[in-house]
Amino acid sequence: MGNSSAISSSAMWNIGRYAIMCFAGFWCVFLVAPIFVVIVSAFTAGDYLTFPPSGWSIRWFIEVANLSWFRSSFLTSILISTVSTAIAILAGVLVARALARYQPKGFVFIEFVALSPLILPAVVLGFALFNVINILEIEQHALANLIAGHVLVTIPFIVRSVWSAMAGTDVSYEEAAQSMGATPTVVFRKVVLPMARPGILAGSVLAFTYSFNDVSISVFLAGSNAKPLAVELMSNMEYSADPVPAAVSTIMVAIAIGFFILVERIGGMKMFVGK
Amino acid sequence: MAKQRNSDMAAWILSAPVITLLVILAILPSIQLLITGFQRADIAGPTLNNFEQLVDSKFAVQAFWRTLRVSVLTTVITVLGAYPMLYCLRRAGPRISALLLAITIFPIMVSTVVRAFGWNVILGPSGVINKSLSSLGLIDAPLKLIFNEFAIVVGETHLLFPYMVLALVAVMQKVDPALEEASLSLGANPLVTFMKVTLPSSYPGLLSGTLLVFSLAMTAFATPLLLGGARAPLLTTLLYSYAYTLYDWNRAAAVALILVAMAMAFYFLQRFISNIQMRSYGK
Repeated sequence: MGNSSAISSSAMWNIGRYAIMCFAGFWCVFLVAPIFVVIVSAFTAGDYLTFPPSGWSIRWFIEVANLSWFRSSFLTSILISTVSTAIAILAGVLVARALARYQPKGFVFIEFVALSPLILPAVVLGFALFNVINILEIEQHALANLIAGHVLVTIPFIVRSVWSAMAGTDVSYEEAAQSMGATPTVVFRKVVLPMARPGILAGSVLAFTYSFNDVSISVFLAGSNAKPLAVELMSNMEYSADPVPAAVSTIMVAIAIGFFILVERIGGMKMFVGK
Repeated sequence: MAKQRNSDMAAWILSAPVITLLVILAILPSIQLLITGFQRADIAGPTLNNFEQLVDSKFAVQAFWRTLRVSVLTTVITVLGAYPMLYCLRRAGPRISALLLAITIFPIMVSTVVRAFGWNVILGPSGVINKSLSSLGLIDAPLKLIFNEFAIVVGETHLLFPYMVLALVAVMQKVDPALEEASLSLGANPLVTFMKVTLPSSYPGLLSGTLLVFSLAMTAFATPLLLGGARAPLLTTLLYSYAYTLYDWNRAAAVALILVAMAMAFYFLQRFISNIQMRSYGK
């Protein structure tokens, strides 16, 4: 009797286990599906967006490469993301150093300010900037406005990842360099920065990706003379029935894959797991 | 004492660029937002008129409740979905669990516009689901799967599922697998072990994941814009349409201030809870 109940409980357990694995499988499909569908339908030979595609071809990628809005917004996006990430690194590394190394009076204030763009919704930040830009009547400088907005949202990414990289390093290296006569600047350049490098790299990739993909802020700051790719894609999506948005999306996914591999190489997936 | 003052100086000098940038780009615009939200062109001095108009507008009130509904649903679905994933991540071999984690994390790197577009292709009137159902002869007219709350919940679940899993994984990394092994070797089956050992130790992650996902769900923008459309606005997309189709920036600012109030409430709740956790779990 004991035997039969053992069998039935193990059978029960097996059913439970398979149910859980099916659930997890469902979530994997759910996560991949929209990205997969976009990529596959971009390689259609037909004139309209369909899934599964009618025949295979790369004609829509050639079409996209020749579109002037794609070229200019792609370059605009690269420019905005590069410049704003660079500014965010310069400023963010310094403040991360202050937070990791010193316990100043007003520590909480500095932390609050440095991470404040994460507390406020991006749409609100975008609209708040838009509002000020309208009052100051500087909306024609769309490129500069976009860079400013992107610096704002990328700073926290740099601060967080550099701060955690610096907090994990041993102070005794700095002290050793100091006791051998290195000036604070030399210590910073030769000891602190190299040890924080993985954090700086990972933070930069995340910041660049965030900036490259952002629409919440950009949608308020873009002008006819400067429109990021994601914003252009969004407006194009709403009006066109051809596979152009799918091809543009596929290009953006390819870039994301590149950065994903880069992050993996730099710090592994634990970069995402840690706070 | 002098040393402390010196290091304070150094810290403030190092922080000066970021503080200057963020004061100009975040703090001052936020103050201006506060002013704009309490202003009206035809009324002198500060006024609550913008907020009164929002409360009187059926559309705005609906958007408010829709935002809460969508956020609650998204949070509940991601919690229910994240645990089977966590179970597999804990129990699968290193290669499979690395693959599962990669599948979970990768969408974070992909633009929200692209992801919403993907759901468009799947859920649209001539999308994957409708076409397969009609070719099977199950439906005559396409189902309305898009430009409604359903599509927003699907899109936001896709957006935020990774964060819930990551919040749980982050906490579970610190839990010694030996605990689970002990339970298994004492005769508890893996399911019981999961319920009695893994689940309770994941509660801090569940709490932080829930807060994070809920606050991100409330403030998502591109996903509800592209999947909900103008007919099913959330607060964020309502703000956008006030600013861009009605050009009523005062009322848009009022919506923004409501979002700020909700975000701040969540921020302080989060701090409060993590302080309590720090005290009861030690550092």
